[in-house]
Amino acid sequence: MGLIDVSGLSVTFIAAGRRVRAVRDVSFSVGRGESYGIVGESGSGKSTVLRALVGLAPVSGGQMTMDGAALQGARPAAFYRKVQMVFQDPYASLHPRHTVDRVLSEPLAIHGFTDRDARIARALDDVGLGQGFRFRYPHQLSGGQRQRVAIARAIILEPEVLLLDEPTSALDASIQAEVLNLLDRLRGERGLTYVLVSHDLAVVAHMCERLLVMQHGRAVEEMTRESLRAQAATQDYTRALLTASEGYRPA
Amino acid sequence: MSVMSREWLLTEQPASRRQAHVGQAYRTWLALRGNRLAMVGLGIIVVLILMAVLAPLIAPYDPIQGGDLRTERLLPPSWQHLMGTDDLARDIWSRVAYGSRITLMVVALVAVIATPVGLLVGTISGYFGGVVDTVLMRITDIFLAFPQLVLALAFVAALGPGIENAIIAISITSWPPYARLARAETLTIRNADHIAAIKLQGASSLRIIWGHVVPLCLSSVVIRVTLDMAGIILTAAGLGFLGLGAQPPQPEWGAMIAEGRQFIIDNWWVSTMPGIAIFVVSLGFNFLGDGLRDVMDPKARK
Repeated sequence: MGLIDVSGLSVTFIAAGRRVRAVRDVSFSVGRGESYGIVGESGSGKSTVLRALVGLAPVSGGQMTMDGAALQGARPAAFYRKVQMVFQDPYASLHPRHTVDRVLSEPLAIHGFTDRDARIARALDDVGLGQGFRFRYPHQLSGGQRQRVAIARAIILEPEVLLLDEPTSALDASIQAEVLNLLDRLRGERGLTYVLVSHDLAVVAHMCERLLVMQHGRAVEEMTRESLRAQAATQDYTRALLTASEGYRPA
Repeated sequence: MSVMSREWLLTEQPASRRQAHVGQAYRTWLALRGNRLAMVGLGIIVVLILMAVLAPLIAPYDPIQGGDLRTERLLPPSWQHLMGTDDLARDIWSRVAYGSRITLMVVALVAVIATPVGLLVGTISGYFGGVVDTVLMRITDIFLAFPQLVLALAFVAALGPGIENAIIAISITSWPPYARLARAETLTIRNADHIAAIKLQGASSLRIIWGHVVPLCLSSVVIRVTLDMAGIILTAAGLGFLGLGAQPPQPEWGAMIAEGRQFIIDNWWVSTMPGIAIFVVSLGFNFLGDGLRDVMDPKARK
């Protein structure tokens, strides 16, 4: 049994009277300290799995457990100390009227920390932003800097699990590598568990030991990094995905 | 004051919370200062405030106690009486000057009462949705179903005439549009990633609404309130005109127009002077509101 166990997860949205089954019967397990990837095209339900884990999406079936405790309904405050999330779009995930300082001190205030200044300083240093960024507004930051702030916000409560929802897809290529390296380093330093969602096989191959391929809300196949590198896919869809990601490389 | 220099205010690397906030406010001010109509509007409002504060100094006569009824009734504008006198031999300029206090009080109190109510109802309604939304919005609909002046008339009639009751009536009738506006803004904000992010930090609904949703709704509501100020002044004047607002001998501009109605052909200045005052102040608030919209509306921002 892993740190996070998901079995038979289904998520159904009801939009304008129509039922949309975004996730159907998905199961996976993530061990402590592991980095687990979820890959798929747009609309495959991969982000919805993350949102369901933290209670942002309506679960219509299946079980999720973390550390043996079932996850359902409203999560207790202690859950958010353990699990944090980094969102895809750093332009949407930071409040436009809040300074970096406010963004980072609010979770500390909610959870009753008293040594806020020291923690904010450390979090900013950890993500490679200096103290000079502390009192800036998001509009004074670049996309990469914003994503670093979002990562700082996620690690400031010292969680065990980070859920990464396409953390680099809104950034340009050179910044992508920097942010991925930062995430890699943080995992090494803090022994974090990652669940990384991405449409980019290269990113997942770089970051994750195991991965799950999803299509149309269903799990297609689970692979290890080695089998991915050996191109040992057993399903047609995965093979198509692999070919597509190769074809994308400059000739 | 050397720390408050331009560089200190506009630095990209503020060193403290206060510097960041003050700098942001200064940037907004700079943008507003560049808008000529907004500055005209602001100027008019500053003049109105000065007039209200300095009324005893700038008014040459008593606004309530008239002069000699035999010789000083209905005098046309002259150097003795800049705006003429009314049928009770009172100096109209003095009455307009003192009347600015009433106008300012109405505007300020209505803004202070109606804005928070509208903002709160709207954000709560939009954030929670479902039953809460339905109940609050149907109540809002009931208020919106009546023309504002008619509803205010009904409230004043029930509460009794007088300027305080007029303020209460106008406040009761002016919050629903703000609630609608705040709700619409909230609906676009509530599914934003930054709201999801603060939820995932374990924040309570109260903290999210107050700290995260309200600041984003505030600018559009403030703009709307500023643009509505003219309407509020006109409603107050309308109630005064109908005899349900300020009571004689209070120098309320709307009531003054009503008093001059019977002499409007022969003694035009009695009604015209307070009318011009209402017109200028309404225009000032509209200019300022337009300018604020250009500067603060997040949707109009490049």
